[in-house]
Amino acid sequence: MNIETAQPPSGSLAIQTRQLRFRWPKQQAPLMFPDIQLHRGEHLFLRGASGTGKSTLLSLLAGMMLPETGAVNLLETNLSTLKGGARDRFRADHMGVIFQQFNLVPYLSALANVTLPCRLSTRRRNQTQGNPETAATALLQQLSIPDALWHRPVTEMSIGQQQRVAAARALIGSPEIILADEPTSALDTDNRDRFIELLLTLAHEHRCSVVFVSHDQSLANHFHHQRSLGGES
Amino acid sequence: MSKLRLTLSLATASLWYRRRVLAMVCLTLTLSVTLLLGIQYLRTEVRQSFTSTISGTDLIVGARSGQLNLLLYTVFHIGNATNNIRWSSFKHIEDDPRVNWAVPISLGDSYQGYRVVGTNGRFLERFQHGNDQPLKLAQGQWFSQLFDITLGAEVARQLQHQLGDQIVLSHGGGRTSFSNHADLPFRVSGILQATGTPIDQAVYISLEAMEAMHVGWESGVAIPGRTLSASSAEARSFTPDAITAILLGLKNPIMTFQLQRELSQFPGEPLSAILPGVALSELWRMMGQFEQVLLGISVFVVATSLIGLIAVLLTIQSQRHREVAILRAVGTPPSLIAGLYSLECVLLALASCSFSLFIGAALIASLSPWLLTHYGIHIGLRALNPDEWLLLSMVPVVAFAVSLAPAWHHWRKSRTLSFGNNNPN
Repeated sequence: MNIETAQPPSGSLAIQTRQLRFRWPKQQAPLMFPDIQLHRGEHLFLRGASGTGKSTLLSLLAGMMLPETGAVNLLETNLSTLKGGARDRFRADHMGVIFQQFNLVPYLSALANVTLPCRLSTRRRNQTQGNPETAATALLQQLSIPDALWHRPVTEMSIGQQQRVAAARALIGSPEIILADEPTSALDTDNRDRFIELLLTLAHEHRCSVVFVSHDQSLANHFHHQRSLGGES
Repeated sequence: MSKLRLTLSLATASLWYRRRVLAMVCLTLTLSVTLLLGIQYLRTEVRQSFTSTISGTDLIVGARSGQLNLLLYTVFHIGNATNNIRWSSFKHIEDDPRVNWAVPISLGDSYQGYRVVGTNGRFLERFQHGNDQPLKLAQGQWFSQLFDITLGAEVARQLQHQLGDQIVLSHGGGRTSFSNHADLPFRVSGILQATGTPIDQAVYISLEAMEAMHVGWESGVAIPGRTLSASSAEARSFTPDAITAILLGLKNPIMTFQLQRELSQFPGEPLSAILPGVALSELWRMMGQFEQVLLGISVFVVATSLIGLIAVLLTIQSQRHREVAILRAVGTPPSLIAGLYSLECVLLALASCSFSLFIGAALIASLSPWLLTHYGIHIGLRALNPDEWLLLSMVPVVAFAVSLAPAWHHWRKSRTLSFGNNNPN
């Protein structure tokens, strides 16, 4: 079922879903999702047209919503067995997220946005050797954010810069899983390719599994695996 | 603890980010809290000032009447006595071994609408106001010659009198009088310091001068040929037949009620004796309804401002949808997001309270001397009393209570947020 596009590293399972089904309120037809198995450090490309449930699947993986049927196992933990607060803590401890746009808290500086997960998760803070600021500045440097912008309001940054700051926030504290919801859709081709390369390189360095959602098939060859949603091939 | 620190830092950053919109809300809340606190502060000050209009006097004695009437005409110079007290009765009371001092007061005439008080030198020595503050002269001296007059501070200020000015008193009360004691003008010998009490709105002459003025006025108008000239009056000595009231100080205040009861049954003539503190408190209770209404209005003003604050927060909340989605996605619990809203509300209220304290203190410090000089109102700068602190602390408490509505709304909504909520389309 998986289409191999890059050599995956071997390791324990990071994500495993089985027979996932979800129905939005007032919606007749439920969304059915294919089973996923993703090992630690592997990168998955999820492709699908609008309305096929890409964002819904990410929400289920993030534990922000629970499936009608089926199970989501992340790092050998069944999310359905966790209560809401525990799922929030699990997300803070083990996941980084990148949205399509509007990724950053507008009233925080770039640095404060990047260190935000470390303020919510002791585990993520400890992974930075107890110094989130140093880890954040290292990531911002690697992602080519000029240091003049680190303490500036994020509203003064370009969309591309904001997406890279979001990537730094997702990577800080080396979470096991990164969920990215069409993060390149607002970028031009040059910035898009550069962003994906940076994200995947840093994810590889931090040994993060990445689930990357997009409708742009041309990005698929950057990933170890790809899946289609909505019955596409 | 780290969650609380995070909530606090997010709340302060969020408030600063929205400072332009929230500044107007904060200004409205600040003004309404200043109004609320100001009214409560003035209530305390005015009550204190009112109930201390006269102090150190154990009893006020007058012709038989109700205690409020006696208080009004002796202390506040409002209304008239029902009858006079014979001079012999005054002497009898003054000689009572329980009496430490007695100050006679004779009322009836006026000067440009201000009450003329006939008394003696003991009035200056014994009359006290506020926290047992004695009367002090701002200029000149207490009357010593027959036709000397001492002016209250407000009279001197309003009528722009100086020491040495010649003034003519009018027969009877009222602002306009056609019967003047024009033959016997008085010379301003002194001006009292402002007290913020009715003392400021009266003029003071000797009992002898009061008698001298009324020689030939027995029928209520001057009978030509029977009135005195200044020189002939100064050549005579006068003893009043009657006075209006007596201020009494007792050697032992424990005897106050005993003497009050005896004076009420005085065999010589029907008299009433009142405890000024009790009468003042009763009078304040009657007028206190208005201050309650004022306080009620100011509470409504603050409530309206807080509702305005919530309306603004609810308006802003639609703009914060994506921010909340981001916070939720990185693992922020719904309780922290709800707490963020409540904390922002409370911080705004605390800022408004702080600004109110600063504005209130600045207003009182700058306006206090002007109010005393121009209106005779004494409002001093002091630390807030427990009631005022309680009222002030209610503002953030109520702000927290009203913030629970949007906080609960966000708590409920943020639990159902998903990745799709942050998409632009």
